[in-house]
Amino acid sequence: MAINRKVAIEQLSQIKVKGNQDGLIPAFGVLIQFLPTNFWNSFTEKMLKSVDQSKIDDVEKGLENAAAECGYHTGWGIINSEEFRAVISPMVEKAPEDILHGAFAVLSAWGWADSEITELIPGSRMVVCAYGYYEAEIEDTYNSGRPVAFMLKGICRAFMDIAYGPAYPKGLNTFTCKQTKGLELGDRFGEFIVSKR
Amino acid sequence: MSKDYSFVQTFDPVRKLQYVNDDPSVMHCHHFATLYTKLAVDMKDIRGPELMREAMEESFYIVLKKAFIVRGTMSKEEKIKIAEEHFRLCGLGKARFSVGETGGNVELSHSHLDEGWIKKWQRQPEPVNFMGQGYIAAAFSLINGKSLRSYQVKETQSIVSGAPTSKFTVTLKEEA
Repeated sequence: MAINRKVAIEQLSQIKVKGNQDGLIPAFGVLIQFLPTNFWNSFTEKMLKSVDQSKIDDVEKGLENAAAECGYHTGWGIINSEEFRAVISPMVEKAPEDILHGAFAVLSAWGWADSEITELIPGSRMVVCAYGYYEAEIEDTYNSGRPVAFMLKGICRAFMDIAYGPAYPKGLNTFTCKQTKGLELGDRFGEFIVSKR
Repeated sequence: MSKDYSFVQTFDPVRKLQYVNDDPSVMHCHHFATLYTKLAVDMKDIRGPELMREAMEESFYIVLKKAFIVRGTMSKEEKIKIAEEHFRLCGLGKARFSVGETGGNVELSHSHLDEGWIKKWQRQPEPVNFMGQGYIAAAFSLINGKSLRSYQVKETQSIVSGAPTSKFTVTLKEEA
């Protein structure tokens, strides 16, 4: 792999964001907000605890789909940004594989998940290991008994959509993701397996 | 101690976490925030909007309380300024607070949630800024030295519906 993760994370993590005079953060073709992780986890927990078993799938899919759209549109904006081009593009030897590795360096640098691709069959399958992710903190107050890293699931499949799906913006939902291990379940890392639908 | 508000972003290279003023924080886009909000709306039967408001109020009660404590004794106006500044700097929009002990008003000239919703879909008649409502409730409680969930917030006008600004009326619950 050509991407130097350590260097990429060191450089990308230094990018600062904050609201402009209008209280907005326009970046990467989207509007950004910068909120405490415990807000997102708390909302997830409240929804999962409140919903009837017959509708829990709807809630889980909704949470994952939100992340998939975010990962797809914002991910596209990020990999085409000046910041990504400055740090990652010089390291790219083979596209889109190295760009995909670079995208997971972004994920690590910006506090979504300390994660990396551990297996990649181009166009077909990807396995991601996450050694730390904010969604896992939900275990402090909620014992789910099942994987609940919906944000990371959505992001993983969205990044594969960008790399190997039809050209943006038509590639969303080309791939699907299954979470097979989770820190929130007591595993040593979270594991996310992405495959074609 | 200086009462100027600073929004300090740092990175823990070991845990790979971003922090804002020592609170683990994460950047998300308007797609994420509006789709979570839409999920809350779709789950009205389990109080989805209220759950989102509560989560936001609880989260920012902690964030703003710390911001006030580290600055020592402050006037009400200084606390209002911090609440407005943090709202702006974290990208939620531009807010002007008018705070009395039994309630008050807030007006947003810009809103991440409303403008993100319009950007993603189109205008819609009902308010959707449950996140903003939760933030405002937390801020009023702390500015007035009251406990969590002391104030009720009602959004009376919304950018998402086509209004030039969003407006909220805030009422002390024992008075509501």
